[in-house]
Amino acid sequence: MSKILIIDDDLDILETTGSLLEYEGFEIHSADTVEKGLEMIERIAPDLILLDVMFPEKKTRGFEAAGEIKSRHPEIPVFVLTAINREYAFDFDKKDVPAEEFINKPVKIDRLVKLIRNYL
Amino acid sequence: MQLPRLGSKIDTSEYTDLTRVVSWFILLRWIAAFGVVIVLLLVRLCLAYVLPYPMLYWLTGVLCLVNFLFTLYYAAIKRKTLSRRELAVFLHVQIICDYVLLFFLIYFTGFLENPFAYFFVFHIMLTSLLFTSDIVSVYTGGLIVVFIGAFLCEYFRLGESTDPRYFRLYLPRAVGLCSTLAISAYLITNIKSRIAEKGRRVEVELNRYKELDRIKSNFILQVTHELRGPIAATNGYHEMLMRGLGGKLAPRADELVHKANRRTDNLLQIIDEMIDYAYMKSEEQAAYTRTSMKLRQIIDYQLEIHSSQAVQKSVELVGDCPPELTLYSNRDLLNIILSNLINNAIKYSPPRTTITVKAASEDREIHLVVQDQGYGIEPEELEKIFEEFYRTRKARELERDGTGLGLPIVQRAVESLGGRLTVYSELDRGTAFHIFFPSGGDDEQDTDHR
Repeated sequence: MSKILIIDDDLDILETTGSLLEYEGFEIHSADTVEKGLEMIERIAPDLILLDVMFPEKKTRGFEAAGEIKSRHPEIPVFVLTAINREYAFDFDKKDVPAEEFINKPVKIDRLVKLIRNYL
Repeated sequence: MQLPRLGSKIDTSEYTDLTRVVSWFILLRWIAAFGVVIVLLLVRLCLAYVLPYPMLYWLTGVLCLVNFLFTLYYAAIKRKTLSRRELAVFLHVQIICDYVLLFFLIYFTGFLENPFAYFFVFHIMLTSLLFTSDIVSVYTGGLIVVFIGAFLCEYFRLGESTDPRYFRLYLPRAVGLCSTLAISAYLITNIKSRIAEKGRRVEVELNRYKELDRIKSNFILQVTHELRGPIAATNGYHEMLMRGLGGKLAPRADELVHKANRRTDNLLQIIDEMIDYAYMKSEEQAAYTRTSMKLRQIIDYQLEIHSSQAVQKSVELVGDCPPELTLYSNRDLLNIILSNLINNAIKYSPPRTTITVKAASEDREIHLVVQDQGYGIEPEELEKIFEEFYRTRKARELERDGTGLGLPIVQRAVESLGGRLTVYSELDRGTAFHIFFPSGGDDEQDTDHR
């Protein structure tokens, strides 16, 4: 069973996205801070990571975290999930973020599953 | 005067301006030398004034030689960047040379009787434009002292042969010249400081606007996150319920959850519209970053994200775009345009109809069409649909939620991308939005379509 790690500070997103993906047959692990997430990557070696962008400590923490994850585990696909669906709102160029996919919240679960299956 | 402080005494804004001033000075000096020769010849030949001509030609020769040296030096420094101090020294040397040469030219051509003595006013003006007021005071003061000294020397040199009316004749001229110099220096430095003060105020204002712009961007980011986040979570719970993750729902409960979900989807759309509208309204001439992109990928992406909404309304979505069609554009704006038009088409189309999103290259333009077989728009309402907050009667009947901002946003986005937008509509036959973008741009290929 493919392991997916979800890193998001919104516990409701962790619960809903996690349950929906679990229902689709994935093994779900979740972390509500980037630090916990980074630690879990080492422990559980996920097959794919869903990563939120905005965290309470910093608005673009997720973008930075994608870089940290990729520098250590370039083989793990990272999907960045963001509640903000417009690039103009960020002074951060998406091109500089080493993620495989960018997905806007609310996540349409069928589309998410389809994208995940492209990588696993 | 301490040399190391000289650089800071230059009082003009830009370094490039200063180097331009040097070349301007050199040109003016050539013109002046030419003018002196012409005037001397005219005075000698036509007016037959008695003047020490050999001395004057010699002085003009010195002026030319000095200017030639300045020209050589300027040619040498043009390639390297001098420090402000070095440049200031160069300017001082030039100004002092000019003062000295002009003084002797005037002195040997009648001194206070020579009306060209007032040319010193131009020199004072140029000095005042270049340097701070203390340096200008030194130059003006020095010049006045030299004039008074020369005036008195002349009196004693001439001794008994002096016209007894010497003071009566020349004192008012000396006072007039010196006060003109002092007043010119004062006025120019004063006007300059006022302009500088205005410049500083403009800069403060500019910084304030930049700060406001930063606050606005942050605000948009925060509002978007705060509003979309909870809706994302709510939609997640709806989805869990609809998929039976909370146990099998009774048919009525299932229907209610679907209704709730539809309203939150609408809410999301409204939030996006309002934020896009606020953003576009505030960015009059926003520099939207553009990249080359495959239009087909963007259309496919938009059709995909609207597919569930289309399925719910039993409307068919069809895309028709050559895979190689490339557009040099801004992805955000293009997504906003397509999303709004497709969303409208779905909302205002009856079941079992087709919505076509078609793109093709035509005569150096890219023609994009979003066409539906929907209810259409009344002719008298057609011209109002791009007005902010306007909603057609049919729209209000069919969809309770809506801002009336979707089409104004589309129009603005199309204009920001340098395109044209036209609409054709026939009641109960459908509506077609035609957009024409200038094609072109061969920037680095960008395959990211989101």
